Amino acid sequence: MTALALECRDVAVGYGSGRAASPVLAGVSFGVSRGGRLVVLGRSGSGKSTLLRLLNRLVEPVAGAVWVEGRPIVDHEPLALRRRVSLVGQAPIVFEGTVRDNLATRPRHVEAPSEDKLARSLEDVGLSPDFLDRVADSLSVGERQRLCLARALVSDPSALLLDEPTSALDPKSLGVVADLVLSLAERRGLSVVAATHQPELVRRLGAPVLLLENGAANASVSAEDVERYLDGR
Amino acid sequence: MLHAVLPIPWWRLLAVGASLALLLALGQALHLRIGRMALVSSLRGTVQLVLVGYFLGALFSVRRFELVAATFLVMLGVAARASVGRLRRPLPGLGWLASAALGAGTALGVVFMTAVVVRPVPWYDPQYVIPFAGMLLGNAMNGSSLAGERFQEDLRSRIAEVEARLSLGLSGPESVHPLLTRALRASMIPTLNSFAVAGVVQLPGMMTGQILSGVAPVVAVEYQILIFFLLMTSTAVSTLLFLLMLRSRYLTASHQLRVDLLR
Repeated sequence: MTALALECRDVAVGYGSGRAASPVLAGVSFGVSRGGRLVVLGRSGSGKSTLLRLLNRLVEPVAGAVWVEGRPIVDHEPLALRRRVSLVGQAPIVFEGTVRDNLATRPRHVEAPSEDKLARSLEDVGLSPDFLDRVADSLSVGERQRLCLARALVSDPSALLLDEPTSALDPKSLGVVADLVLSLAERRGLSVVAATHQPELVRRLGAPVLLLENGAANASVSAEDVERYLDGR
Repeated sequence: MLHAVLPIPWWRLLAVGASLALLLALGQALHLRIGRMALVSSLRGTVQLVLVGYFLGALFSVRRFELVAATFLVMLGVAARASVGRLRRPLPGLGWLASAALGAGTALGVVFMTAVVVRPVPWYDPQYVIPFAGMLLGNAMNGSSLAGERFQEDLRSRIAEVEARLSLGLSGPESVHPLLTRALRASMIPTLNSFAVAGVVQLPGMMTGQILSGVAPVVAVEYQILIFFLLMTSTAVSTLLFLLMLRSRYLTASHQLRVDLLR
């Protein structure tokens, strides 16, 4: 049996401690195979972001276990793990400096990526290498979103975690990003977990759906369930 | 022609109270509602200063190391409390961190002054150590609370930015480094500004005091330069130490941001 790329086993996350603790996720279990895809669907505040942050160990579960590439997540060195399981956050945050500076952001001990690699990362997300010397702050929201995606690709990850990748985009751009994610996953053999509340993105990605409601997960939802959930919004 | 300081008889000092009366009258006439505030602050400040005057007089005449050390510790405790008290997001145990940071930075300046530059005899001569320590501590206190406040607010408003860096595999300290630098720079600005315009806009307080007490301006300038350099260094050291300690409270060993402390 091949190990799953990402797996959650009966995971719970809570903020605060003692009686004041409020559960964000409870009893969440699912698995994503290597090169596989999963859409995490839920309304805002349902724990989608927390679930993604769990998979690159920005948060710790209070119960259950997270496994990455066949090993408990705690057995991975957290910084190396985050370069293999790349999270692209909901807000398209760009750092000070040029697009090149953004793409070259890395831990001190990691060698600088080659010019070729930077250009390829940009091309992979549909941006021209001419963007390298542009000031990151001057980019449009859509371009920033692509830059964030390209930045996450520079470390050659094996899995991509996308938090609401299209929430700031118009319907046309949503379709473009969805196609981009699909082709990237295909070309690079990436496992992809995308969290969204947008019906259109769920349909475009055509991946198995994990439905999050009030912190609890339902991994065995049928296509009809999803449609009903989306229509009932 | 320089001469020693002219003493002010107490009854003439009382006349300065007339300025307060003027302020109170002005406040009353214009409904500024500053009367009570001004009265309480002036009375409190006056009593405090008179007590400090007598205390320092006694301390300078006894010149005992234990008393100098104890005085410094009390000053340190008050400064640490004040600098932490100004933070809008207090954390348990922060007072001790601030004491350590302020103590280290100030001690550095005082040791440099006593051992290298001024060399009073004995080295702990309270006439030198206490005023110097007071100036350094006061500045370090302001610097640390300014920096701490800025760092906490920046962390809170830039959670996504810090986590974006963490997600690229940067360590916790690397991920908050830009915020730490910004906080340190912001806290240094008042000190650096006062250095930049020193003597042009106004004479620095210590220099004014020395000139009034009959010290030659060139000697007063020597002391002022000394205090400027020490202020800059010891404030930077205290503030940096405080920020590093504060930073460690917001990061875990697994390079996670303690978002729970920022909500």
